[in-house]
Amino acid sequence: MIRTLSYSLFAFLFVCLLCSPTRAADSDYQQAMKALGSNDFVNALHYFESAITDDPDNLMYSSEYRQVAIKSKDFDRSVSFFEKLATTKPQSANVHLNFGFAYVDKIPVAGSITQVILANKALTEFTKAVELEPNWINLYTRGMSYLFWPKIFNRAPMGVADLEKAMKIQVAGPKKNYYVKTYLALGDGYWKTDQLEKARAVWQEGLKQFPDNQQLKARVDHQGDDLQKIIEANLDPNKRVDTDLRELWTSSQN
Amino acid sequence: MDKFSKLKALLLSLLLLTQTFAAAQSSQPAIRFEEIGVKAGVRVQHHTRTFHGKNADVLHMFTSGGAAVAVGDYDNDGFEDIFITDSDAGKPNHLFHNNGDLTFTDVAVKAGVAGGNDPLSVVSDALWFDYDNDGKLDLLIARFGTPILYHNEGNGKFKDVTATSGLNKFGNSIAVIAFDYDNDGYLDLLFGNYFKPVNLLDLKDPHVLPNDLDNATNGGGVTLWHNTGKGTFEEVTQKAGLANVTGWVLDVGHGDLNNDGLQDIYIACDYGTDHVFLNNGNGTFREITEKATGWDTKKGMNVDIADYDNDGWLDIYVTNITDEYMKECNMLWHNNADGTFTDISRETGTCDTGWGWAAKFADLDNDGWQDLFVVNGLRSAGPESYVPLILPVITTPGLDITDPGNWPSIGNRTWSGYQKKRLFRNLANGTFKEISAEAGVDNQFDGRGIGVIDLDNDGKLDLVQTNADQPLLLFHNISEHTGNWIELKLIGTKSNRDAIGARVKVTAGGLTQIREVDGGNGYAGESTRRIHFGLGSANTINHLEIRWPSGRVESVSVPLNHVSYIEEGHGVVQR
Repeated sequence: MIRTLSYSLFAFLFVCLLCSPTRAADSDYQQAMKALGSNDFVNALHYFESAITDDPDNLMYSSEYRQVAIKSKDFDRSVSFFEKLATTKPQSANVHLNFGFAYVDKIPVAGSITQVILANKALTEFTKAVELEPNWINLYTRGMSYLFWPKIFNRAPMGVADLEKAMKIQVAGPKKNYYVKTYLALGDGYWKTDQLEKARAVWQEGLKQFPDNQQLKARVDHQGDDLQKIIEANLDPNKRVDTDLRELWTSSQN
Repeated sequence: MDKFSKLKALLLSLLLLTQTFAAAQSSQPAIRFEEIGVKAGVRVQHHTRTFHGKNADVLHMFTSGGAAVAVGDYDNDGFEDIFITDSDAGKPNHLFHNNGDLTFTDVAVKAGVAGGNDPLSVVSDALWFDYDNDGKLDLLIARFGTPILYHNEGNGKFKDVTATSGLNKFGNSIAVIAFDYDNDGYLDLLFGNYFKPVNLLDLKDPHVLPNDLDNATNGGGVTLWHNTGKGTFEEVTQKAGLANVTGWVLDVGHGDLNNDGLQDIYIACDYGTDHVFLNNGNGTFREITEKATGWDTKKGMNVDIADYDNDGWLDIYVTNITDEYMKECNMLWHNNADGTFTDISRETGTCDTGWGWAAKFADLDNDGWQDLFVVNGLRSAGPESYVPLILPVITTPGLDITDPGNWPSIGNRTWSGYQKKRLFRNLANGTFKEISAEAGVDNQFDGRGIGVIDLDNDGKLDLVQTNADQPLLLFHNISEHTGNWIELKLIGTKSNRDAIGARVKVTAGGLTQIREVDGGNGYAGESTRRIHFGLGSANTINHLEIRWPSGRVESVSVPLNHVSYIEEGHGVVQR
């Protein structure tokens, strides 16, 4: 009886131990959202950090944390936070992904040379994420990241390789709204590597899948310098890249 | 068809033909230049200093900015002369005397101003200014080293008076301007210094390059020298409140930015933030950068100051680096008339000029609106680019980028080379149109300095373009159908003799324009000291007012399409 009770108690404690970080994380997340609701960015960041520390793989916590860091222009805090987290959780692909995004979030406010340094650091983290988990989001993110590099650095072919893999993953599974991004990016990658026919084919295929997408339409409808302007505007390091990942958990299937 | 109908048809055809011809004429470019360097006898080649030892070519590249021009009528013969610098060891500078017929004679050796490129000093800039108010332009040579001050002896010869001038401080100066910051009637000197003050030709410690490529703090800053009025200068940088500038200064510019009658300054820094200082009127300046422009991280290369939109407030143009791999965009700081400036380079079409160097405002078609010429390009060499080799230097954590030894050798590689120069025509509506090809100035040399000059006193402004390690270009303005004009040579009496800092306001043809006499604004290029106004089709000047640096304000009348000499307190005088 006592032995049975001991086993039961042990099992209960074990389950509690498993659950408690998530529960605590959820509680902190709720506090963070509450603080955010009253524009209290300092407390929001604090609670998000607690939540992420307890649940580092949670993409939603990390993504929303970074959006608050962007709003409060506290880019260094975000970078520093993920840097520490990546040392304690080196095997978490999601931590490396968000660490990379923290660098990306800072790029528009940085000087032109610092932008290069930040982009390179982001790429290092995205590579770690791909190596740990070569899933759609990691491949798409790194692939897209390569495309931002000026042509002279010859990184676009590596971006195309990642995006082709991301495309393979997405066509093999159920359709998601955000998959339109791969059609855009892969086409841009082909364009950037002087494969215009392949670019057009990908954009046209994307348009079949997502007929209302204006960005795809614009690419299909334009040529030459006009097309160049559209693509380069999309890859301008001085413009903020949308690194909000909420589409991943809010996107419905078409 | 009856006779009347035939006549009507003929008249209609003639009318159409006339209209077509008129339309074709009006669409012709108003601004045209002919390059006359060889014909004029000024086609000389610049040479950047050769360094020795490991990665000498990296230092060579970092010091390739010394191809400068200074325009001034040193012999008061009514024709503006041209001084051109060279930078390699033993290479002579050139003093091109204007023969008055679009040809020049190099008299530098005879005049005693060819030297300066000593084994341990590099000539980097030059400036005409009358430091002793004797009516003859003296010459200052800025160097990576100590400067040289030549006194104009008035007989075609100059005397080196550096030793007694007090200008004895070593600096890696790349820019120098003269203006009377304290309005005591004598011209003072503001130097912009690139490297910190160590001799690059005798390096004890190799850590001389920028410590950050966006926010470098280990540059040479600026040095301000007060003219005592007794033939000497004393350094007042600290006293004037300018000692906190520690950036890699590439250019300095002055002008009355807040219309209070005092000369303010803009400091353009490579690898980091520019600075704006207002003159307090008591020998000191106060920094207003944060409020005025904010802190930038760009690669400031040039400062020119002019009222491009004729709103009565001076605006500022700064070139930066815009290329495939770096999208900085230039800055056209529009003066908001409230102590703040807004960068409208994108909106005005003047954002992208490649790897920018000098830029100068000048009304090249005399329509009353100042156009903008910009030179560019760092290093045009072989087909391979240096840029991919720099990436590891920038991105390797912990790499000491201040040591040239950690930079890869450049060899014969190109870095932002073969860039076409840009000429922006002011469209009089707040925007500019790039017309360099039609105007004949779209060369691909590695430009550095611009000197605006009226070579032949025809009222059409000409251009001198200096190029690093490449020949000089001289562009004669051959534009047709240009507007009326006036040129004013101001002579200070209570004010400094060069009248630097004087502001002239002209109202004609329904347009009011302002100009200030500047003492060397613009990278590596001092332009004509004459004030030039294009007046378009206006046949009369409604009002011409001069505000002298002394504070005196006087109105004068001058004839159209002439160069007039105006002396403070005496109106128009004979030359």
